[in-house]
Amino acid sequence: MSMTRLPPGFKITRDTNTEEFFINMGPQHPSTHGALRLALRMDGETIVEIVPHFGYIHRGMEKQAESMSYLQYIAMSDRQDYLTAIQNNLGVVIALEKGMNIGVTEKAEYIRVMLSELGRIASHLVFFGCFGGDLGGQTCLLFGFKEREMIHDILEEVTGSRLTTNFFRPGGSRFDVPENFIDRVKAFLKHLEGAMKDYERFLSKNIIVLERSKGIGILSAEDAIAYGCSGPVLRASGVDFDVRKANPYSIYDQLQFDVPVTYTGDCYDRYTVRIAEIHESMRILYQCIEKFPKEGPWRAKEKPVRLPVGRYYSEIETAKGLYATYVVAATTGEKPYRIHTRGPSFPHIAALNKMAQGHKISDLVTIMATLDPVIPEIDR
Amino acid sequence: MGIINLAPKILDPIPGGKYVVNAIDYVVNWARANSIWPLTYGTSCCAIEMMSSSMARYDIARFGSEVFRASPRQADLFIIAGTITRRMAPALQMLWEQMPGPKYVLAMGACTISGGPFIYDNYAVVRGAQNLIPVDVFVPGCPPRPEALFHGLLTLREKILKETCRDPWHEGEPKDVSTMDRYREAAKTWAALERIKDEEMAEARAKFKEENPDYKSSFKPVRVKKEDFPEVERVACKRFGLSQLDIYKKLKAKFPGITVHTHSEDPIEDVVAAMPADRPLEVMISVEDYLPAVEYVKNDPEFKMNYLIDVTAIDYDDHFDMVTMLRSTEIGHKVFFCVQIKKNFDIPEEERPTALLGSVPTISHLYPGAEVKEREVYDMFGINFEGHPDLRRIFLDKDFVGYPLRKDFTHPQMIKRPV
Repeated sequence: MSMTRLPPGFKITRDTNTEEFFINMGPQHPSTHGALRLALRMDGETIVEIVPHFGYIHRGMEKQAESMSYLQYIAMSDRQDYLTAIQNNLGVVIALEKGMNIGVTEKAEYIRVMLSELGRIASHLVFFGCFGGDLGGQTCLLFGFKEREMIHDILEEVTGSRLTTNFFRPGGSRFDVPENFIDRVKAFLKHLEGAMKDYERFLSKNIIVLERSKGIGILSAEDAIAYGCSGPVLRASGVDFDVRKANPYSIYDQLQFDVPVTYTGDCYDRYTVRIAEIHESMRILYQCIEKFPKEGPWRAKEKPVRLPVGRYYSEIETAKGLYATYVVAATTGEKPYRIHTRGPSFPHIAALNKMAQGHKISDLVTIMATLDPVIPEIDR
Repeated sequence: MGIINLAPKILDPIPGGKYVVNAIDYVVNWARANSIWPLTYGTSCCAIEMMSSSMARYDIARFGSEVFRASPRQADLFIIAGTITRRMAPALQMLWEQMPGPKYVLAMGACTISGGPFIYDNYAVVRGAQNLIPVDVFVPGCPPRPEALFHGLLTLREKILKETCRDPWHEGEPKDVSTMDRYREAAKTWAALERIKDEEMAEARAKFKEENPDYKSSFKPVRVKKEDFPEVERVACKRFGLSQLDIYKKLKAKFPGITVHTHSEDPIEDVVAAMPADRPLEVMISVEDYLPAVEYVKNDPEFKMNYLIDVTAIDYDDHFDMVTMLRSTEIGHKVFFCVQIKKNFDIPEEERPTALLGSVPTISHLYPGAEVKEREVYDMFGINFEGHPDLRRIFLDKDFVGYPLRKDFTHPQMIKRPV
């Protein structure tokens, strides 16, 4: 039976002998990872088309930013992707540094990279938990959050806050790291190495995970690039693109690490890429621990954050993908004319339709889990 | 709990009956207070702390609340974790109405108390959950730590333990969404009080000076010596792919109308050549050249701009600057196209805030990812995209009036940030 008139957003016209129906998923649903509403057009249990409805957590951050000072906006960036708040801070701060034309001391760069990588591990651990949890293994959720709490202990000791860190400043950071910082990270990494062995034993070869994620939600390399996907989602589709390698910021060009790439682009690949990334982050952290300068200033000379007229752009690789900040200064001063943020999750959800078409509704939960979206970062 | 609520009527007149009623209260409250099942509801940052609190380290099961229910029909406690937006408000009220009584509401985080960081210049956020549904416990923090959430839970537990079937739990009324300016009134009262305080202080100071004209304070502030930090030079980044000058020359040969915005009087080529390596070239282009230029850089083998970073816009007095950010994943260079769209001032002035003021061809057939980005620009700025397959509002309701990221946008619920 063909539909004569479709609800807004649905585009596919098809002729079938079965009756299609619509299901509403969200905005309050545990596996949409936040306030996201998906309108599903179903044929039996098979998904015909998905239309995502955004905006349930649109908080008008960009409008607010116009009346804020640059420094106040750093605190706003915490609340976009709260799983990697520390990396969002870095993205905003790099854009400001470009405008102020100031550099960063060596120790401050190491602090930045180490905290960013800790944030990346924390975010991927949440992914590990939610992926297992969405597939029905609630135990994974407990385990993923166990190691994450240890990272939060370190973050709290350094920044004073567990989640919304608001830590980096142009030229360095707010405070110096405490004396035992390196020892804490060392101890954590030693623990995580053992824990990761356990984790991979839980899921990587688990027959239920393999059955439910292999060959599900395949995104080809062409589609992934066309939709603007980034981060692990893009790399799982076989595109070797990582901002840390493509346009190195901070001191990533002095560190040795590999960019894990897989070539199928299904849910299982997105899982393995993230697990491999945890290992790469640990590699980066070990190098940083060795090279960490004990002496030396932990920030550059403090200057008022006043940007000259111009447009400044920065991009970094957060745990989710490419996070870009675009700052427009129309007058020299402490307030921006406009700040725009490009979050990595937005294109992923736009590509969801491509991935989930033809799959069963239970597979949609798996696909959503492996996209690892954070909705407030989409809606801003 | 209908039958139990009848107990006081029947048992209280009987001698000794009130002890039976007290015993019933004790048992019922003990059961209720020790198994508060929360609803899985989370919109933003607080939701993650709520999740953390139910995990191994903090273990909400110690307080009998580990059973997070996905359905409101099985839940007793509504933990409002995260900002409430105007678009989410009806869904939130509906969830609360679907919960069976007795039900309790715990508002977690600063956003659910007053709007938190989103009070000023905001058109989207509801300033406090109490504007929508009756709230039992507020937990401050941004976001609150899990320990704070537990304190809130224990406070709620105490509240439940004080309940009695002589005055049974009754449902409050959900508030009307339209009456949400309590904060503004409070701010006005507060400002008036502050002004009175300031005047009193000034008076007292003047009086003190009159009475003691020779007074000198013996207090001397102790200055802590600030740590000395060096000035650091910015390190130049490596260049990938074509240089900005090459990109500019190639584009200029194909599209002679393009320019680069500059404040200096040097020739444009010198300005472009002096650009630092990590600064993307931003090319000003006319609306007519925009689509051919994007097509050209996408298909040209020297450019290979296959990746759309973002589409956004900037609002100026008489024009919009729409910025399309493109990059090549293979080669690594970037180019930003800045399209100047003149505002259509033929539209009468009173209709301008709600009218589409500019128009530009879509690029969503070249980059499928542009579809949602262009919808965002349409939603926020009111720029029309010719040939867009699905031009609807994306973040705001379809009946929202105006385009928020324009500089002259006003909204009845917006409070200006005090300077």
